[in-house]
Amino acid sequence: MAKKPGILIVDDEAVVIKSAERVLKSEGYRVEGALGGREAIMKIEQGGYDLVFTDLKMPEVDGITLIRWIKKSKPSIGIVIITGYPSQDTIKEALELGIIDYVPKPFTPSVLLDVTERAAEWIKGKKPEKPEEKKVKEEFPPAMEAELERVIADLRRKQGALIPVLQRAQEIVGYLPPVVQKKISKGLNIPVAEVHSVVSFYSFFTMKPRGDHNIRVCLGTACYVRGIEGVLSKIKDALKIDIGETTENKKFSLEGVRCLGACGLAPVMVLDQETHGAMTPKKALEIIGQYEPAMLEAASASGMEEMAEREG
Amino acid sequence: MNKLKIEDLQNIREKNKAEFALREGGYKAKVTVHMGTCGIAAGARSVMDALTGEITKNNIKDVIIASSGCAGLCGKEPIATVELLGQSPVKYCDLDKDKMQKIVAEHIIGGKVVEDYALPKKDDMPFFKNQELRVLRNVGFMDPESLEEYIARDGYQAAAKALTQMTQEEVIKVIKDSGLRGRGGAGFPTGLKWEFASKVKSDIKYMLCNGDEGDPGAFMDRSVMEADPYSVIEGMIIGAKAIGAHYGYIYVRAEYPLAVKRLQMAIDHATEAGLLGKNILDTGFDFELAIYLGAGAFVCGEETALMRSLEGKRGMPRPRPPFPAHKGLWDKPSVLNNVETLAQIAPIIINGSDWYRSFGTEKSAGTKVFALTGAVNNVGLVEVPMGIPLRTIIYDIGGGIRKGRKFKAVQMGGPSGGCIPEGLLETPVTYEDIVATGAIVGSGGMVVMDENTCMVGTAKFFLEFTADESCGKCTPCRVGTKILLDMLTDITEGRGKEEDIDTLLDLGRDIIATSLCGLGQTAPNPVLTTIKYFRDEYESHIKHNWCKAGVCRNLTTFMIDEKLCKGCGACLRACPSKAITGEKKKLHKIIQELCVHCRTCYEACKFKSIKILPAKFEGDPSELVGATTETETKKGEA
Repeated sequence: MAKKPGILIVDDEAVVIKSAERVLKSEGYRVEGALGGREAIMKIEQGGYDLVFTDLKMPEVDGITLIRWIKKSKPSIGIVIITGYPSQDTIKEALELGIIDYVPKPFTPSVLLDVTERAAEWIKGKKPEKPEEKKVKEEFPPAMEAELERVIADLRRKQGALIPVLQRAQEIVGYLPPVVQKKISKGLNIPVAEVHSVVSFYSFFTMKPRGDHNIRVCLGTACYVRGIEGVLSKIKDALKIDIGETTENKKFSLEGVRCLGACGLAPVMVLDQETHGAMTPKKALEIIGQYEPAMLEAASASGMEEMAEREG
Repeated sequence: MNKLKIEDLQNIREKNKAEFALREGGYKAKVTVHMGTCGIAAGARSVMDALTGEITKNNIKDVIIASSGCAGLCGKEPIATVELLGQSPVKYCDLDKDKMQKIVAEHIIGGKVVEDYALPKKDDMPFFKNQELRVLRNVGFMDPESLEEYIARDGYQAAAKALTQMTQEEVIKVIKDSGLRGRGGAGFPTGLKWEFASKVKSDIKYMLCNGDEGDPGAFMDRSVMEADPYSVIEGMIIGAKAIGAHYGYIYVRAEYPLAVKRLQMAIDHATEAGLLGKNILDTGFDFELAIYLGAGAFVCGEETALMRSLEGKRGMPRPRPPFPAHKGLWDKPSVLNNVETLAQIAPIIINGSDWYRSFGTEKSAGTKVFALTGAVNNVGLVEVPMGIPLRTIIYDIGGGIRKGRKFKAVQMGGPSGGCIPEGLLETPVTYEDIVATGAIVGSGGMVVMDENTCMVGTAKFFLEFTADESCGKCTPCRVGTKILLDMLTDITEGRGKEEDIDTLLDLGRDIIATSLCGLGQTAPNPVLTTIKYFRDEYESHIKHNWCKAGVCRNLTTFMIDEKLCKGCGACLRACPSKAITGEKKKLHKIIQELCVHCRTCYEACKFKSIKILPAKFEGDPSELVGATTETETKKGEA
């Protein structure tokens, strides 16, 4: 039998460490505990761990900080989070950092073992990977898969569950690649062709990954009359992408939407969640430039910057 | 909250009124910050923060701070209303942090209105004076998240009346007699729709609300859902009673996050208070309601498509009959009403059908909300009695055209509607009269266009929309809209042929005659109306390669009129491609080889010295007849 992985449990409550140790040691894992992020970093520095299970809310050095450090310094170590506060935002943040899975607190032995086994499989399988498998893992890591399974289990008995599940799946993964659609097809017992037909029908769903920041430009009538086209073409020029595309550095995606219903502010652009009204090409680039100063420079090629200078 | 009974409503109403009425010894003032999507985007949050900050800092205890929905005058957001004991309410507009601080100091503490920021009184301001608020009766006047406040404003009176004192038939009769017609677009009589569904026998029926407001340029449903969610829910309860349904869905666009949030909150509060769910108001009537998020498809505004989408499928329409009143959602009898329609049900039940008919015309009764946008001065949401002339809406309420420009057309009904020219501005807004012009009332979008809008370009804009949103099920719509779009693209890019205009007309009529659903049956309207009223623009594009509005880039030459240029340098500074040369105080010149036809200079010139001429025009602009914009021609003649 292959060597079982070494696990470090990080939590500011000793009782959590103890109960996890008890469960995992009985299955032959090597387990140690650390009472906080600082202690964990010291221990990991000395080596010998393949997996780290960590709490998120801890005094001094918290879980997210620890995860960031591991990802930077010991990228081969797999991370699972244990949390009593699975709020959407923290989970999302952790998912984006590339954790394998999470264990909700309090946990039963079977849940912990289940997640541990999967995590162990994951780090084992990580080294000799076929390129296409690697790609799948990258776009759809096990933690997201687990989250999606929970969503499917929640909604599968409801009538007309497909669209709500797809909406949640897109929230979790960011987009809907074929592997996600297949998973949903299986989970809801709907032919994959039908899943795809729905994904391709609605403009809300996308099969391409989005950038860090999503720019949505309103293509409604009021915005058209008040000159959104000029704004849009400037954004396209500056980012060198068309509608529906993402910049090469994955920083921005550009979307055109059918009327945001904020016609009083026309022309309108939405960056992430913020609605910006009365756009001009210059104002739009300034807003985008807050996130990427280089984009403003790129705009200078089309003469925008000189214009800004002269006007300023 | 405990489950409420009917007698509790009265108590809540009195308690709320007693507590929050401004009086000596109680609260002395109320400040409402209007926080709809537009308001928030314009900065209402920082205004609210400034307000609460100042009130706390000055340790003021007798002022009510409230937030509410849109005040209607979207173009002047952020807006706040200040009510002071013994004074009539004052609305402040275009607010920011500093202005709010000044208002707190001078008006709320000092008692003196800050005239610089205040809007004129309601009766002195045509925007408000000409309106009649029924659908929007609560919008902007109450906290949309407070069930108590809704009850205090006579909320749930109508539901209580319908559930205890009226039979199904009586409810249907009142709505039928009122003449209320569906406000989503087609204008089908609401009472009749309910009657059909009530007569079908079935174990399960569905009462549905269409909040998939897809027409670009219309946003009244968003505003109502955000600012008065309870009135939509109450309308649905009454409708459910009328048809005998116990389950319902509100289908909302995912593009409206704030509306979704407020509706969900309202459903939760109402369910908790026994105003939704089992045994509503202890009357024995059950109605369970849930929200369903749309996923972005315009065609889902069509009823059969919306029901398919609710089932989790591609939202494609199907032929009728069977009508949804017989076979709708999951093949059960279903009624789908629009948000604006549902928001007016409660007052009709309370006040009766004659009250409702006191406004409007015989066939188009009551009031209609319009989203007035585009090139008008007062952009906003306005509710007017049906039957008033378009001119009143655009010139009195809307305050005329921005920047003193000339009116060209008003677009009504979104992609299903058409463009109405100046000559027809006396047309009364009723379903029949608007249809006679070639447009439709639709959901109530009213986009005003000025001389700077190219009508061929406008038709192309709408066809891009419908060609993209066509679901693809029936050929006339899928292929037809694409061909219309290709031809319009050719015309705007200088490849138009003279016979194109007739082909557009013929093909348009065929698409209308043969399409399956409302999307295809109305898609050619923007083309047909623009040809009907602005044929000269099409001809000028095709025959003279000339887009007089200066929008179609291939069909323009921008030149500076030597007689008018003052050499101020405004165009030179504005030109993004550095195509303009010339020294200060001397004649400027556009280097045609560098010009990208973006018309930035045209907008920048204060002396109207930039002329829009036909493509590849060479020579002296003043020699060309009509080589000026329409406004200037007029001026020249005068």
